[in-house]
Amino acid sequence: MATDARKKEILKGLYDAVVDFDEDKVVELSNAVLAEDVDAYEAIMDGLAAGMEHVGDLYANQEYFVPEVLMCSDALYAGLDILRPHLSGKEADVKGQVVIGTVEGDVHDIGKNLVKMMFDVAGFEVHDLGRDVKLEKFVEEQMKTDSEIVALSALMTTSMLAMPKVIEMIKARNPDAMIMVGGAPISQEVADNYGADGYAPNAANAVQEAIQMISRLREMGKA
Amino acid sequence: MAEQPQPRQETMGPGERMGAILMRQRPDRVPFMPFIFGYCARNVGYPIAAVYNDPERSFWAQMWTAEMFGYDGGAMYGYASMGGWEFGGDIKMPVSEWEQAPVVTRFPAQTPEAVDALEIPDVATAGCYPIALEFAKIQQQFGMPIMVMGMSPFTSAGNISEVDILCRWMMKKPEVAHKLLKKVVIFGKKVIDHYMEAFPNYPMMAFTGEATSANQIISPKQFEEFVLPYMSELHDHILASGIRNIFCHICGEQNLNLKYWAQLEYGDPGILSFGHEVDMAKAVEVFGDKHAIAGNIEPQVIQNGTNQQVYELCKAAIDKAKMAPSGYLLMAGCEVPVQAPPYNIYVMKKAVMEHGFYD
Ligand code: B12
Repeated sequence: MATDARKKEILKGLYDAVVDFDEDKVVELSNAVLAEDVDAYEAIMDGLAAGMEHVGDLYANQEYFVPEVLMCSDALYAGLDILRPHLSGKEADVKGQVVIGTVEGDVHDIGKNLVKMMFDVAGFEVHDLGRDVKLEKFVEEQMKTDSEIVALSALMTTSMLAMPKVIEMIKARNPDAMIMVGGAPISQEVADNYGADGYAPNAANAVQEAIQMISRLREMGKA
Repeated sequence: MAEQPQPRQETMGPGERMGAILMRQRPDRVPFMPFIFGYCARNVGYPIAAVYNDPERSFWAQMWTAEMFGYDGGAMYGYASMGGWEFGGDIKMPVSEWEQAPVVTRFPAQTPEAVDALEIPDVATAGCYPIALEFAKIQQQFGMPIMVMGMSPFTSAGNISEVDILCRWMMKKPEVAHKLLKKVVIFGKKVIDHYMEAFPNYPMMAFTGEATSANQIISPKQFEEFVLPYMSELHDHILASGIRNIFCHICGEQNLNLKYWAQLEYGDPGILSFGHEVDMAKAVEVFGDKHAIAGNIEPQVIQNGTNQQVYELCKAAIDKAKMAPSGYLLMAGCEVPVQAPPYNIYVMKKAVMEHGFYD
């Protein structure tokens, strides 16, 4: 059992290693978590995920750019791969499931990939349909996986017009599915007009929004 | 509206107006070149894909739409997802009502080995070039200058490997990224040579453009290493081949990269177009002495905004850039969305007629 000081040191080390995209260090420290009996959940949340959250700020402030963020994400996944199998009980439960994709006609998937990663970090099971996704595919995948959330991305004003259509199609089949929209031309106002249940301006806020959406669902006794 | 400015009488035709810009003379008014492709096909009742895969219909859709709105740009061929198809991958033309431009559906080189194995394609048969060359023949037939569709290295590389993979190589295997970029530049130079041979002594301009190098994606430092040298090599080759002007579309958030863009040659003069992310006053300050500036009306507003909003954006851009030493062209910040209300395009012309005249 690690002392408090040692535990702090490991968590801080994980945080820093994600921020510095030092994948080897993440692996070394994640193994230390297991060897020294530090709580794997804490290591993920207060080490890896907290580090990634800071990476999101660095991106927002133009200190990091997509290449650095992807390196941080690779480092983070290296840690998650080691630690996740050691989560126990409630902690091992997924927070929820999300179907994500960039809508038909749109190749712009860099932002969508960042959102996907944040969901992954937060412990969601993510079903990524990729880019230029046919509208029916979102409906089918939601039904197949029974995901609580469908996250739609669009970067063009042409493809964003497909959003209200997908929302209508999904709700017709499953009125309980919660739909979240995002991408550069989307705003809260657009999301409301489209009948979406949630919107976030960036990847970091997407997860908080999703968690709130799911708790709304649970309050209604539907999830 | 308070005081209604009166539209003035035009004293030049579209060709003369563009000619004046290229001769560094003041035209009668600010030229209006919307940057419009799929919209034109839709406007004349063709499928959007026709603008990308049917040279004849593409040309006429663009010419007729220009006639209808009275704007100055003629017709050109090109799109942003170039590279993938040319190097052996697959492309999908826009078909459904949500689509506006071609999409790469299979990337030809996603591993270092595949980059090694990547062969420099033959321009005559590579991807969209047979279509682009047919299009150029039509431009020639009608006595219009040919716009050579240049292959911009960084964005094309992203369309060959997929952007995420290119980004990872930049960080972990920079030599692979450089190898890919070198191959794209070799091909890009061959494209120029091919046009020069196919249309000897014919007036040409070259189009280049970058989207994936925007600061939404890469840092200025990465721009310096992975974009600048290759773009510079391509531009130098274009100008050495005898083409006098480059029209370069600098897409997206590029403010941190402007100091590098300023190191490139664009011809005498070049035309540099910007997205809504780069302020027109800033563009004039950095590039206006040497080159004509174009931009930067936000496409999202052209589609979703009211006509008053579009008018105000145009007026503001004209006010900021009209007196640029080497001229200014009113243009959308990127392709005009295919679903834009026609009246919003008309309003862009109206703004030019009411605020764009010189003297
Ligand atoms: C890079 C880029 C490209 C690349 C894309 C490569 C790729 N694989 O993604 C290439 C070169 C292929 C390209 C092509 C085209 N492009 Co482009 N492109 C861009 C550019 C410069 C950057 C986009 C980007 O990656 N940003 C970085 C990411 C990280 O940010 P993001 O996507 O906004 O995502 C963040 C948030 O929006 C949010 N988010 C995103 N999705 C979601 C989803 C959910 C659920 C939530 C909650 C949040 C969320 O979180 C993300 C992270 O914080 C933009 C400029 C801009 N202003 O966006 C133009 C832009 C999107 N392109 C544009 C255009 C016109 C085109 C083309 C049509 C050009 C053409 N004629 O060929 C083609 C379209 C091809 C197609 N069919 O889709 C226009 C669209 C205009 C419009 N309103 O319609 C833009 C806006 C440029 C401009 N200045 O006007 N492009």
